[in-house]
This record gives sequence, C-alpha cells and structure tokens, in this order.
Amino acid sequence: MTAGATRALRVLWVGYLLQLKILAVNAFDGVLNVIYPLFFATCALLMFSQSGDPQALVYAALGSAVMGTWSAMATSASGALQGLRWQGVLELLVCAPTRVGLAILPITGALATVALYSFVATLVWSRVLFGIEVSVASPLGLIVAMLVTLASLATFGFLLSVTVVRYRTGWALGNALEYPGWLLCGFLVPLQLFPEWVRWIAYLLPPTWGMDAIRAAAAGGDPWRDIAICALVGLGYAVLATVLSERLIDSARRHATLALT
Amino acid sequence: MSILEARELRRTFTTTTGVLRRQRKEVEAVRGVSFDIAEGELFGLLGPNGAGKTTTIKMLITLLLPTAGSASILGLDVVADAREVRRRIGYVFGGDRGLYERLSAIDNLRYFAELYGVPPREQRARIGSLLELVGLAGRERERVEGFSRGMRQRLHIARGLLHDPALLFLDEPSIGIDPVGARELRRTIADLRSEGKTILLTTHYMFEADELCDRIAVIRHGELVAEGTPEQLKARVSAGSVLEVELLGVAGAAAQAHADAVCRVAGVRSGTVDEQPQGAVLLVQVEPGVDATAGVLGALAGADTRVGRVVTRAPTLEDAYVELVSS
Amino acid sequence: MSDTVGATATLRGIPAAWRLLTVGGVLSFRGLFNWLNPYIYIPSLLIAPIFQILLFAYVGRAAGAESDSFYLVGNAIQYASIPCLFAMANTIAGERWTQTLGIVLSTPANRVALFLGRSIPVIANGWFVALFGLVVGAWVLGVPLPPQTWAGIVLCVAIASISCTGLGLLQAAVGLRVRSTAVLGNIVFGVLLIFTGTNVALDAMPGWMAAVGRWMPLTHGIEACREVLAGASLGAVLPVLARELAIGLGYAALGLLALRRVERVSRLRATLELQ
Repeated sequence: MTAGATRALRVLWVGYLLQLKILAVNAFDGVLNVIYPLFFATCALLMFSQSGDPQALVYAALGSAVMGTWSAMATSASGALQGLRWQGVLELLVCAPTRVGLAILPITGALATVALYSFVATLVWSRVLFGIEVSVASPLGLIVAMLVTLASLATFGFLLSVTVVRYRTGWALGNALEYPGWLLCGFLVPLQLFPEWVRWIAYLLPPTWGMDAIRAAAAGGDPWRDIAICALVGLGYAVLATVLSERLIDSARRHATLALT
Repeated sequence: MSILEARELRRTFTTTTGVLRRQRKEVEAVRGVSFDIAEGELFGLLGPNGAGKTTTIKMLITLLLPTAGSASILGLDVVADAREVRRRIGYVFGGDRGLYERLSAIDNLRYFAELYGVPPREQRARIGSLLELVGLAGRERERVEGFSRGMRQRLHIARGLLHDPALLFLDEPSIGIDPVGARELRRTIADLRSEGKTILLTTHYMFEADELCDRIAVIRHGELVAEGTPEQLKARVSAGSVLEVELLGVAGAAAQAHADAVCRVAGVRSGTVDEQPQGAVLLVQVEPGVDATAGVLGALAGADTRVGRVVTRAPTLEDAYVELVSS
Repeated sequence: MSDTVGATATLRGIPAAWRLLTVGGVLSFRGLFNWLNPYIYIPSLLIAPIFQILLFAYVGRAAGAESDSFYLVGNAIQYASIPCLFAMANTIAGERWTQTLGIVLSTPANRVALFLGRSIPVIANGWFVALFGLVVGAWVLGVPLPPQTWAGIVLCVAIASISCTGLGLLQAAVGLRVRSTAVLGNIVFGVLLIFTGTNVALDAMPGWMAAVGRWMPLTHGIEACREVLAGASLGAVLPVLARELAIGLGYAALGLLALRRVERVSRLRATLELQ
C-alpha cells in the first residue's frame, strides 16, 4: 500500500475514534437524535396497529428502526459541520495540509455508529410498547445489510456536509431532507403506492436498497442483490462527494464562507 | 532571503442585506498590500479593528482567495500550491474558539498532529515537548472547555507548532489575556524567534509590537501606511517630543475642546485626548527643539480647568501609530 | 384624589402598552428570529410540513386507517407548533444569547404587554404556516377544500395557532432554566404529534392517552377543522373552538406566571445572563 494511502487510512481512523469520543461526551444532545424519530415511529406503529395485521406491525417495526438511521445521517451530518464552523475549527481543518474530506468523513462515520444504536433502540421500543417480535431468518444477512446501509449513508451524509462548507445555510438542507427520506425510502410506505417517477428518486437513495435487504434478511429471502446495489449507490455518492469537495472548498475560499461571518 | 513575498494583495467582499429587496454591497477590505518577510524575522502587522489585518493573513494562509495580487511562501504560490504551502505554515489566532471543546488538550493535539501529517512515530515526543514549551504539561488530559483563555492560547500555539512550520502566523494572540499570562506568552514568542522561527504577528498592543518585532507594517483601511523597524516608525513622529497633561474633572467634548485650543499654540503639531478611567490626558505632539509647555498651559487656563501632572517624554510607538492611523 | 391619579396613569399607560404590544413585538421578532432568511424559512416552514402531511397520508393509505383529509388537517395544524413553539422560545432564549434579556426585563415596561406583543407575530406566522400546509397539501393529495369551508378553516387554524403559542410561552419560560431549549422543543413537538389526534383519532387511542390529549393545545382545533371539512357549520364548531382557546389562554397564563417566577429567581441568583 502506498504511503499516501496508509496515511489517509490513519487520519480516517484516528478521526473516527475522536469523533466517537466527542459524540459520547455530548450524549444529551445525541439522545435527541434517537428520540425524535421514535415519536414518528410510535405514531406509525399506532396507525398500523389499527389495521390488526401482525405482519404489518413487523413491517412497521423494521421500517421505523431503519428510519432512525436516516435521521442520524441526514440532519446530523450537516448540523455537525455547522457546529465545526461555530467552534472555529472548520477554518483550521481547511488550512491543514490534509484533504478536508479525510477530516469530514470520520464525522459521518461516527454518526453512522450512533445510527446503529438508534436501530437497536427502536426495535426494543417496538417490542416493549407494542409487543412486536421481529424474527430474523438470516442474522448474517441482516448484519451485513445493516453495515452496508450505514456505510452508504455515511457517504451520502458526507456529500451533504460538504455543501455546508460552502453555504452557511446549508444545514437547513440537511434538516429539510429528513422528511422526504422517511417518506421515500420504503421505511413505512411500500414503494408501489407511489407513482413511477417518485420511485426513481427513491432508487437513488441508499437506504431504499438497504431497507429491502434488511427486510429480506429478516423474512428469509435473498438480501445479497439489494446489498450489492446499496454498496454501489454508496460508492457513487463517495465519488461524487470527493470530486465536489475540492470545488466546493475552493468556492468557499473565494466567497469567504468558512468563518461565521 | 525572503520567506514570504506579498504583491499587491487585494480582497473584496460582497454582502447582501435585506430580506425582500436584497441589496449587494461591495467592500474592499484589502487594497494592494505588498511586503516581504525575511527568514528568522518577527514581522508585525499593526492596525485598528477592521483595517484588514485578519483578511490579509487569511489570504496568506490559503483560507481566502485573493481578488487580485499574489503571494508566495518559500517560493510556493498560495493559490496554485495551496496544499504545499499549508504543510509549511502554522496558524494561531486569539480568542476562545478553534479547539474541540469536549476533547482533552492532548486529544486535540493528537488529532491535529494527524491532520498536519506529523509522522506517527514522532507524534508522542513532539506533543510532549510542545506541552512543556507552552507550559501545559500535566494538564493535557483536561477538557478544553474548562481552560482559561490564556491556556487555550498556549494550546493554540502548541497546535500551530506541531508540524514544525517554517512560518508561523500569530493573529492577535494576546487578546483578552491577563497581564501575567500575556507576559508569559510574549516570552514564549520571543523564545521561538531566538530559535530562528519566522513569525508574522498581528496585534494592536503597541508595547507588544515594540518589544517583539524586528519590523512593523501599519495597515489602515486596507492599505499599508508605513513600514519599518520600531525605531524608524517612532522617528516618523519626528524627533519632537510629547507633552502629557493630565486634565482633572474634564471629559468628552470639553476635553476635546481643550485639545483643539492647544493646537493653536505655537510649536504644537497636534493634540489628542486619551480617555483614562481617572480622567482625560491631553497628548500634545511638539515640534523638535520647542518648549511649548508654557503656551499649552496658558491655553488651558480658564474656569473649571484643573491640571494635574505635566510630563514631557520621547514619543512611543503608540504615538507613532495613533498619528499614522488617524491622519 | 388618588383614584383619579391612578386612573389617569392607567389610561396614559394604555397607549404605551399598545405600542409595546405592536411595534415592540414586530421589532423583536425580526431582530431575533433569524428564520426570516428565505434559505431557512422556505425549507423548514413551508416545504417540510408538506412532506410530513404526505408521509402520514401515505402511511395511512398503507395501513388502511383514515382518509387523506384526516391526515391533511391533523399534520398541517400540528406543524404550526414548530413556529409557535420555537419562535416563542427563540425570542426569549435568543435574548439570553445576545445578553439583552436582562436589559429588557429591567425596563419598566409592562410585562404582560411586552410578552403578549412578542406573541402576535409568532401567532401570525404559525397561522400562515398551517394554512399554507393545508392549501398546498390539499392540492398535492387531491383533497377538495370547498369555498364554504374556508371561513371555518381560517378561524380554526387561527385559534389553534393562538392556543399553541400559549404553550410556547410556557415552554419559553421553562427553557430559560433548561440548558438545551432545542431538545425541549423537539420533545414537545413529538408529544403533540402523538397525543393531539393528529394521526390517530382520539377514540382509537387507549383511554389515558385520549385524556391527556384533551388537555393539550391543538386537539380541539384539529377536531373542529375536521368537522368543518366534513360539512359542519361554523356555529356547530364554536363550542369546540372555545375550549381550544381556553386551553391556550390557560397555558399562556401559566407561561407568564412562570416567566415572572424565573425572573425573580434569577434576580436572586444572578443566573439570567447565563446560557
């Protein structure tokens, strides 16, 4: 492995550990990331329990569990970058010799780890409050599906964060994407209910494929095709973000948006 | 040998105001700034708030792209070779921000060491010696959020030195720090200089600039109005002297009126008022070889004017600075 | 003699209080509620509610529960709680941030007029956000809004907005003591989402939940608006709206009391300027 690649991996790893440390210390604010989607999940579970169909409840429980991961990535990623701007650290990251992307990616990686926690917490919540038991036919498939979903979400979150570097109001975009993601990725609404053109938008989002894979792994179907597509989509976002990040940062330097004012 | 060369740097900012009818306003913050810094020099950039010091620095450290002009550090262009430039410079700024609050000091240093490309094998030793240098050894495991401003500043300096940069930028490092802390900070900076580090320092504490800097440039409204050693700048206030007259029980407009009256006295070049907590002090610049004391006191004689101490002294850098930025 | 003096002073105080109410309200709103930036306002307050409406309408379709119109009214009105709660809390917490709160509270201005004045733009904003959500959501979902229901809808939404702003005042007071007001606001939003019959009819919920819901703002406003859309006359829903208004004013009164208490305690302990 080249020296450059080794160094890049080290920066990512050290960054990831430190970001996890920051999130762990910030537990109070982080709790909101987990609780907020739970309100929506509870609503949905109440609605599905009106239908009286136990399969529908399992569908909703799994869906709400993954729904939380979207929140942890979309909203929080841009919020985290805005937080860096507030702390005055964003400028220091940019004027360091390392590519800014290598400094930002660990943040989204750490958030993905929080998302994992949210996944488990929501499943427990469904079990405790609504008595929903989710049986998993293929635990390996589920775990791989979950990890690939999170990794793809991390790259998507990375793309969002990079826009925040350039635009001071970019964090509002992250906020704004929370609901559309919940609506479109097949967490609580089967995609067949949507018109064709909406489905195409959904296919561009990593969690759509991840969700299918997770459901398949739980129900005993074949998750591997969906896992592969999810990984591919995530890779696409990673490439896009890498290409855009340098441009966006140059633009930020031209328009002086790295600082607060 | 010049480490840094800046040529005609310019930077314009566009701001938009208003909600429904957004108006664009263009502000030219830096208007053609040029200067050189030689190796091992401690170069000072002085100026009032809003003069363009920070903007100039940010262009040099690659955070901002200049609207026009160019700059090179160690022969590398700050725009074209930004990444290479960043390897060789350190940036330290004053204030409370710029650190991960929730992490400990040593975690902060470890992370930035990684970002600055310090080889892993050297990181521990380098961090250790830097903590010693800035006097934070033993407190590195505490969280930054509990640090005082002075401690944060020292941690900033340690951070800026992690990768042993050839050129260190210090942007108002002693702002808001207590006198004892500030003195220690200045000693650290002086030590760095004697080790051969090249430093660009911005400040508006005159005694600090006088004490530390080899050469100084004064910037006002985005332009350099003077450049030279501290002695040269003091000499520009001309070889005259300064008369300090303490006015008791007078302030504000009344004091200014006295200053204006004094200007009409023969041999007086200018008169300004320095508001102190205990009262106003009239600073009168006097032509060389003239003793204007009697004339000045005569101009001040009047009802309700009580005069305290009267002192004649040689001009300081602050006098030079005030004259340069207010003419 | 003292009666006349007192009465004259009160009379003279009224125009001042009125100015404080209106002009003071608008100025402080613009100064601190920086959501007026279109890049923030449009995504957060105009686009997001449409998606919330769509989300629950489609979940409703998937679950086969209620009609689109049910979720449209519920979520459009419930979302008004974002501006009503956050704007109110921001106005007051924002003053703490800019450290003008102590200054404002130390003015001799009439407290009630001051804070009620701050509420007016908040109420107006909440009303506009809810109406926008209703109209655009109805268009997207294909839910008809016949002209004869417009007056009723406008009134229901206005009352719901007033009521929720009352809760916002209370939340603002509590927020002054709590460190992270954003967390508090989001939790209140979530509680309103579940208990006010936004997405689940009160009689489809367990008894205790419905009981809690009946004491919250928005519940009756949503119910009244649904009835109006179902064809009820304005007169028929007035009693329901009266209950909504009463609940809202109750929360507002609690909020003003709490603010006064916080102010007194903070003066004792000098904590008002702290964040």
